[in-house]
Amino acid sequence: MFEILLNHYPALAEGLIITLVVSLSAIALGLVLGVLLAFGLMSRHRLLAWPCGLYRSFWRGTPILLQLLLVYYLLPEVGIELAPISAAILTLTLNTAAFQSEIFRSGISHIPAGQIEAARMAGISAWQTRKRIIMPQVFRLTLPPLTNEIITILKNSSLISVIAVTELMRVSEQIASRTFQPLETYLAAALLYLAVNLVLARLSAYLERRMVGGLATE
Amino acid sequence: MPMVDTLATSSSTRQKAIVEAQGISKQFGDLEVLTDIDFSLSPSEVVCVIGPSGSGKSTLLRCLAFLEPYDHGSVYIDSQLLGYEDSGGKRVRTSEKRVDEVRAPVGMVFQHFHLWPHRTALENVTEALRLVNGLSRREATAEGMAMLEQVGLADRAGHFPESLSGGQKQRVAIARALAMKPRVMFFDEPTSALDPELIGEVLDVMNKLAADGMTMVVVTHEMGFAAKVADRVIFMDQGRVVESGAPDTLFRQPKSERLQQFLNTWRERHID
Amino acid sequence: MFDIAILWEARELILQGLWNTVWICFLGCLLALSLGLLLAALRLANPQVFGYPVACYVELCRGIPLLILLFLLYYGGPSIGLTLSASVAGVVGIGLYGAGYFAEIYRGGFKSIPKGHVEAARMLGISPFHVLTRIQIPQMARLIVPPSTNQLIILVKESALISIISVNDLTKNATSIVNETFHVIEPYLAVALLYWLIIELIARGGYALEKRLANRQPRPIEPLGDTLHANG
Repeated sequence: MFEILLNHYPALAEGLIITLVVSLSAIALGLVLGVLLAFGLMSRHRLLAWPCGLYRSFWRGTPILLQLLLVYYLLPEVGIELAPISAAILTLTLNTAAFQSEIFRSGISHIPAGQIEAARMAGISAWQTRKRIIMPQVFRLTLPPLTNEIITILKNSSLISVIAVTELMRVSEQIASRTFQPLETYLAAALLYLAVNLVLARLSAYLERRMVGGLATE
Repeated sequence: MPMVDTLATSSSTRQKAIVEAQGISKQFGDLEVLTDIDFSLSPSEVVCVIGPSGSGKSTLLRCLAFLEPYDHGSVYIDSQLLGYEDSGGKRVRTSEKRVDEVRAPVGMVFQHFHLWPHRTALENVTEALRLVNGLSRREATAEGMAMLEQVGLADRAGHFPESLSGGQKQRVAIARALAMKPRVMFFDEPTSALDPELIGEVLDVMNKLAADGMTMVVVTHEMGFAAKVADRVIFMDQGRVVESGAPDTLFRQPKSERLQQFLNTWRERHID
Repeated sequence: MFDIAILWEARELILQGLWNTVWICFLGCLLALSLGLLLAALRLANPQVFGYPVACYVELCRGIPLLILLFLLYYGGPSIGLTLSASVAGVVGIGLYGAGYFAEIYRGGFKSIPKGHVEAARMLGISPFHVLTRIQIPQMARLIVPPSTNQLIILVKESALISIISVNDLTKNATSIVNETFHVIEPYLAVALLYWLIIELIARGGYALEKRLANRQPRPIEPLGDTLHANG
């Protein structure tokens, strides 16, 4: 296993970087979409809330591999040519947006209504209330589930190897077929995934501790 | 029981104690929460333990019940050592079964009731009757209903705890303990978690119990109850018994400065 | 345009995929549930010995993609003399992977029962065994149903990965139909619907179970027999 790591570290490192780039871009894009979706879900306008709900149900209720294949094969059909890596980022973004919207919706609903009432009574506009009162708190409340989601996306990014994106999983497959050492190779890959995820989890725990005092008072 | 010998000298002079503690102490980590406590409880006696929060009064009660194993000293219930036994000159923990045997005369009521949420009021009362005393469902139900009747809650028998008020929950908890026919009842701040208007109904039940001759140890903040019902009041502070005596003397002529302070603070808060 | 005829012609492939997904998920989840229970029980029974190893196992499941685990079992297994068919590798992979999550769910449920409930029972002389079976486990059951349902759903969705190690499950067969017919939407949407159906069934089942366990409407008291009334 360590032999594989030593002999193939440039390829593995490149794969790991692609894995990180794809996952983190999807998380960042999904965050924006997820927040918008969360407000859509909580909207009083049926015409807005209902499609958002349908979107969430589809992306949360079907396997991500199926979603990936659907996006990858469907786009050319409708005349959009996307590189595999773009299709991968697109799918992961659309998927994580649905999960993140639910995380934010739940986070927002945990903020006492009195705080929002107090802000509105002080003459702060609805939009400003969202931006200055709700969202800073939501990011703290949602940090643990958000970390879980980042880790989930990192793990799920392994399956974009099926559309030939040369991320960590795909690189491992290539090494395994060259060296005829599948066990050692996949163990090495497992170790890399594990390391990244453990670092992320620790980082998040650290941030959460830091934010406890920090954001509440600003 | 070889243990009885060690006890004989200390308790033979008095009326035989139901519960007796000799020099018990307890540490949580580096913090000494109980220091060298002696305690004795005679039949039909009602003892109230008062003191500021953190004084160790609840820990004392929990040690007397062996819910917290005490570190040093001995607790005897009906002259039997609770929780430990002698094994080749060394003191070792007894089995849970032995703890149950020695502790059988004791019933306990907790601050937060600790009713089992997945059982109805009646089932809370009958559970131990069936599991421990081996009563049939019918016998246990009859007995349980009688107990609920005693605390005035027969009409709530089929309700789950979540649909009972705090006062009702605590009365069910008392009925649950009484069903096992204890000879001593331990109350650990039984009214501290209750809304003010619900305290009375629980104290009424406890008054009645005391009047019927039940032996009781009550850790409480209810000075009124202590003054009226207790035969003896123990004031604790920082893990030690500071003062003890009849409620009249203790409340009217506190000897120690700490008790005076404690009573003054209490009066200030309850004057209006 | 949605061409339903394609689905009708490919019905056998779809049904085969459904059957394979269902039985592999069923056995995999069963393995995950029981192995998770075993791990949690070991950890709770003897934290000194099993605490650390079980915690490590849980971290492994959380940190490593299921796909890697499946590849390790299916492609890596033969190098240590463990040759599994793709379907069996799927069952074992889902089982091992899910067990880590379930172990945590059980432990969380068990830990969230207030200590006082146990103390109250012990003070009444109820034995530790009965405390476990009559007080702790029934309460835990109610607490763990929602997260367990959730985890089962995640496992069913993740089971699509077994198509990558060549199991003819729903996802694999849908892709075969796509490749044969050059129609993308119909097979994938049909299969998505079937996954959704399985998941919906699990969700409904979990919800019904939760409702049943949480039913705390007042109950009528069975009338006592005459003999007892006569005695007072």
